[in-house]
Amino acid sequence: MRRLAALLAAAALTAAARGEPAPRPEGVEVARRINARDEGRHVSRTARWELVDRQGGRRTRETRVFRKTDAAGKRSVLFFLAPQNLRDTAFLTVDFAEPGREDDQWLYLPAARKVRRVSATDRGESFLGSDLSYEDVKLETQVGLGDYRWTTLGEEEVDGRACLAVEAVPVDEKTARELGYGRVLLSVDAELWMVRRAEYWDPGGRPLKTAHLTDIRLVDGIWTVHRVEVANAVTGHRTILSFHDVDYASPVDDDLFTERALVRGVP
Amino acid sequence: MLRAALCAGVAWPAAAAAQAPGSALAELASRAELVGTARVEWAFGLSDAESQKLELVLEPELELELPAGLDLTAVGRLRADAFDELEPGAPTQHERSVISRRALVGDRVDLELRELYVEGEVGRALFTLGKQQIVWGRADGLKVLDVVNPQDFREFILPDFDESRIPLWAVNTEVPLGEFALQLVWLPDPTFHDLPEEDALFAFTSPELIPSAPPGVPVTQRSVDRPREFIRDSDAGARLSTSLGGFDLTLNYLWHYDDEPVLFREILAEPTGPRVVVAPGYERTQLVGATFANAFGELTVRGELGFSIDRFFPTEDPADPDGVVRANELDWVLGLDWYGLRETLLSVQLFQTRLSRDPAGMIRDEFATNVTFLARREFRNDRVAAQLACIHGVDHGDGLARARVGFELREGLELFAGLDVFYGSERGVFGEFDHNDRLVVGFEIGL
Repeated sequence: MRRLAALLAAAALTAAARGEPAPRPEGVEVARRINARDEGRHVSRTARWELVDRQGGRRTRETRVFRKTDAAGKRSVLFFLAPQNLRDTAFLTVDFAEPGREDDQWLYLPAARKVRRVSATDRGESFLGSDLSYEDVKLETQVGLGDYRWTTLGEEEVDGRACLAVEAVPVDEKTARELGYGRVLLSVDAELWMVRRAEYWDPGGRPLKTAHLTDIRLVDGIWTVHRVEVANAVTGHRTILSFHDVDYASPVDDDLFTERALVRGVP
Repeated sequence: MLRAALCAGVAWPAAAAAQAPGSALAELASRAELVGTARVEWAFGLSDAESQKLELVLEPELELELPAGLDLTAVGRLRADAFDELEPGAPTQHERSVISRRALVGDRVDLELRELYVEGEVGRALFTLGKQQIVWGRADGLKVLDVVNPQDFREFILPDFDESRIPLWAVNTEVPLGEFALQLVWLPDPTFHDLPEEDALFAFTSPELIPSAPPGVPVTQRSVDRPREFIRDSDAGARLSTSLGGFDLTLNYLWHYDDEPVLFREILAEPTGPRVVVAPGYERTQLVGATFANAFGELTVRGELGFSIDRFFPTEDPADPDGVVRANELDWVLGLDWYGLRETLLSVQLFQTRLSRDPAGMIRDEFATNVTFLARREFRNDRVAAQLACIHGVDHGDGLARARVGFELREGLELFAGLDVFYGSERGVFGEFDHNDRLVVGFEIGL
């Protein structure tokens, strides 16, 4: 990755010396590089969600999250630890590697003590009442490569880091409706290939929200975002998502991604 | 291995006690988590403009990590009601086994050990031993296969099932078998539905449920003949689960006592005229069933099928020797959940019951159909949730309509208000409570 950045920098210097504009990777290439970044075969972590309304009222949710990726796809399970009224609620998603196959999702509601099969088409819906959508949460630091047309617009600096400004526009109206986005402007770290900032517009072209990804640190050799702050321009609501106890080294048991595990609760 | 694990569980407190008391306590505290909820709820009857309840419910929950990967969970409940309309006086609790009864403190307070179980794994098998809820099925609002635990009908079907289900002492194991999971349950706890007594607000009066004697004929009710042997009268069941072609599937079997009492009837010819003697008892039945669920785009489809062998239903035929008819019962439910609107769930269900026999005089209809509707929407980043629900009995045109709104005022504090409206013929299972429409307000705090 560092070698690539060095080559890009060298190419830019050479081009500049010749008085030519610096060559930039195509937008789709940037998206591919983001998705090719190592996210670990498995990870466990605690996620703390602070939901802050326009008046400054603050609610907190604490969750324990496990993810595992293999040839079949990506499986994620999330268990609520707090608050008490959500405690033991659990959510399981299977994102199949098979192209075009819809995700499978299950929700365990402790008040019903039943695991419920839920539709996976709600990609643009708010996740846990936060300002992130189900799709945002599922993708983590990756991007929906096939959902958008990608264009590199230029370079910029975010948090003192050189970034590429990339525009993503949904491939069609249906996808825009599903995602809830009409346009996304990403600032992508050109060395780490991680999104550092994102601005979203709704399908009608109105500003929707901004996301700022910070506290990026190496954990077990993997660059990891530890803080995401999302501000909703429409509602004034903000979500501050922070990750703790991130662990890529300890194995994650396959049995965690089962209905039985949802019922039993966080291990 | 399980025995070794359990022995380790027994040995651990002794080892801890050998340490200095302070450090043992600290060790215990580090492995324990105590949480809970407190809820205050006021229900105001709209027909008689009188309070139905003003209730404080405290539910502490202790989770304790034991050695050898075992976890202990204990859940208690204290319930205090200012009006004593739901269970006037001290209920007999004859439906419950001695080990599952509540402790009554006067007429208005009761204490209950809701759950007390140890969970552990042996290899990939999961064991849950102790007092617990075992939940089968995929339906909302009404039950087909969710009958492993009996239900408390103190407030009919208005409370969440989690609250009204009566936990039982049970051995519950779940063993993965390749692509399948096999659950085996054994319930040595002869406890049955808790039915409200005659003077209770939600006492059953529908002739669908309670037979009546001809006018002027006196009725004597004998005490309930209930199974009491913990081993001989225990229930057992199995559930096989798998996923096939995107469908979540289960096959279920339960060998159990029917939780509804059978009202055996005898007509005595006495010099003063006929007398009806009713002798309630409990009878064995077998339940065979299956469930499925799958998602198709914005729609999820789920269903349950249950076939009960040898159930008993009351008859008003005076020629019938014991006043009950033995029949098999087929129940099924099909549910559709639609997620096509943002932050909204729309759900409909069709329930149907069919009896294998319908002799003259039988009180229950051969067919019974209920439909349910649910609309739920969240607003303001899930701070506000609104729900409309309806259960409609097609045969008698009766039903229950419910509206509820909850507002998370601040972290861990929810305010709620609701309206429960019963409608239709008093002969119907829902219409019989037409006079119990109510407004509910309250709050719940996470502790």
